[in-house]
Amino acid sequence: MPFRRLILLCSLFLLLAQPAAEVRAELVVVVNARCGVAAMTRNEVVNIFFGRNHQYFNGIEAQPVDLPDGHPDRKRFYSLLVGKDLSEVNAYWSRQLFSGRMQPPVKVNSAEEVLKWVVSHPGGIGFVDLAKADARVRVVYELMP
Amino acid sequence: MIAKLFRPLAPLGSPGKLLLGIVASAVLSLASPAMAQSTSAFSLNGFGTFGLARTTTDDVEFVRDISQARGVGSEWSALIDSVLGLQAAWHVTPQLEAVVQATSRYRYDRTFTPDISWGFVKYNPAPNLSLRAGRLGTEFFMMADSRWVGYSILTVRPPGDFFWYLPFYSIHGADAAITVPLGESILRAKAFYGHSDGRIPLADQQWDIAGSPMVGAFLEYQYGPWLARASYANIQFKNDLPIAPVLKNALGIDLSAQDAAFLATRDTRTHYYSLGLVYDQGPWQAQLMLNHIEQGSNALQCSDGGYALLGYRIGEVTPYLGYSWVLSKARGTGPSAIAAYVMQDSRSDQQTTFAGLRWDVVRNVALKAQWDAINGDSSSLFPYRQDNRARWDGRMNVFSLTLDFVF
Repeated sequence: MPFRRLILLCSLFLLLAQPAAEVRAELVVVVNARCGVAAMTRNEVVNIFFGRNHQYFNGIEAQPVDLPDGHPDRKRFYSLLVGKDLSEVNAYWSRQLFSGRMQPPVKVNSAEEVLKWVVSHPGGIGFVDLAKADARVRVVYELMP
Repeated sequence: MIAKLFRPLAPLGSPGKLLLGIVASAVLSLASPAMAQSTSAFSLNGFGTFGLARTTTDDVEFVRDISQARGVGSEWSALIDSVLGLQAAWHVTPQLEAVVQATSRYRYDRTFTPDISWGFVKYNPAPNLSLRAGRLGTEFFMMADSRWVGYSILTVRPPGDFFWYLPFYSIHGADAAITVPLGESILRAKAFYGHSDGRIPLADQQWDIAGSPMVGAFLEYQYGPWLARASYANIQFKNDLPIAPVLKNALGIDLSAQDAAFLATRDTRTHYYSLGLVYDQGPWQAQLMLNHIEQGSNALQCSDGGYALLGYRIGEVTPYLGYSWVLSKARGTGPSAIAAYVMQDSRSDQQTTFAGLRWDVVRNVALKAQWDAINGDSSSLFPYRQDNRARWDGRMNVFSLTLDFVF
C-alpha cells in the first residue's frame, strides 16, 4: 500500500513538475487494483508476459494484455524489460504457438483499451504510460530506461 | 473483496466451481464488446520457409533429418528446408482449446504431401496445469516440437549433429505439463505417453514406426534469462527395419535368418537422454545441448551428441557461431560380413562448425545465410542418404539460404 501511494505521489509530482509535452513518459506495469498484488519484480513480470507463469503469488490467474507491433509502447516495453527486439519476442511466440504449447497474450490497440482490459479482468495485467495509470489499476512495476 | 471472491476459483477446484468459472468468463466476455477480439473463438496462423541448400560433395546426400528420403548434393536445391504450415485453433472456452496443424514438407515418400502434424484438444483445469490429448508433437529434446518453424529459431535449421537422427515428430497419446512458480523462478515438468506415428525412409524402403509406444518426461528450471532442462524419453519399436528388401534391391543379397535376428529392431527400446542450457537476454542468445542415445538394437549404434550456439544481435541482424558434434559407439563385427556392412550404416563420427547471419528484414520475415563445415570420419554414414562409401571422405561444406515467415 505505501508503495502504491509513493508511486502515485511520484507520478503526480512528475506531472506537475514538467510540462506534459516534454515528458518522455515512463512505462509501468499495471494490474487490476483488486487482484491483491502490490508489487512485482522484473523476473515476475517477465514470467507473466512470456507465459512462463500463469498465476500470481496468491493463486489468481494472470491475464496479460499486449499491444500490436505497430504501437511504440510495445517496442519500448520489451526493450526495457528484457532488452529484446520485437522480432525476437515474435519468434519466441511463434515457437510457443506452433508447438501447440500456448497462445500469446491478447493484443488490444491502445493504452485506453489496455486499461479497459485490466479493469474488466480480475487478473488483468498490462503496460501503459505512468501518466495514464489511474485509480482503477495498481502500478506494480516501473520500467527503468 | 472481489479478490477474495475469486480466490477459491483459482486452485484446482471442484467441477462445479470450474463450471462457474467458465460460465463467469463467458458472460464477462459477452458483456464487454471491447473484448470481442480477445475471445474470438477461431484463429488461423501459419509459418513457412523457402530454403535453398547445397553441399560440396556428391558422395553423400545431406538431409535435414533422417525423415527425408533424399537429400541435397552439390547443386542448389529447395528440397530439404522448405516447408509450409497452417494452424487453426478453436477456443471453446478459456480453458478448452482445439488445435490442428497441417504441414507440407519433403518427407519419407519423396513428396510434399501435406500431413496433419498435430490435432489435439488442450484443457487447462488450472492456470498452471495443461492437459492435451490427440496427435501431439513430442518434445523429447528441447525445441524438438518446433523444429520446422524456421522463424522461431536463430539458425537455418536445428543443428544436425544433435537432431538429424530424430525422425520422430508426433504421437497419438496424451501429455500433461505443470508449472510451479518458486518465487521469481519457475519449475516446469511435462510427461507424455503415446503411440508413435510415422515412417522413416531406408533406401527405397520405409520403416513403419506407427504404433511404437513412446514415453518421456522433462524437468525445466527457469530463472530470469537462464533455462535449464533435463529430459528422458524412450521408444519401443514395433517393427523391424526393412533391411532384407533394401539389401535385396540394392545389392541382390539375401539376408540370412541369423543376421535378421541379430539386426532386429522389433521390440527393442531406444532411450534418449538430454541436457540443455539456454541463456537469452538483451542482444545475447546462447545454447548448450547434450544428448545420449542408447539403442536397443544391434542395427543401430549408441551415440553422444551436442552443440553450442552463440548469437549476438546488432540492430536487425544477428550473426551467430556454433559447434556441434556426434560420435557413435561401434558394436563390433556381428555374425557375418553382411551384418557388419549393415551395422556400418548407423555409424556417425563428425564435428560441424557453423556460422551464419539472421536478418529480420521486416516484421515476421527473416532471411538467413549459413555455412556449415562438416569435418568427420569417412565412416560417418548415418546422417546421410545415397552414400558412396568408397569415395566419401567425411568432409563437406554446406551452404544454406532461407527465407522464414510467420503469419
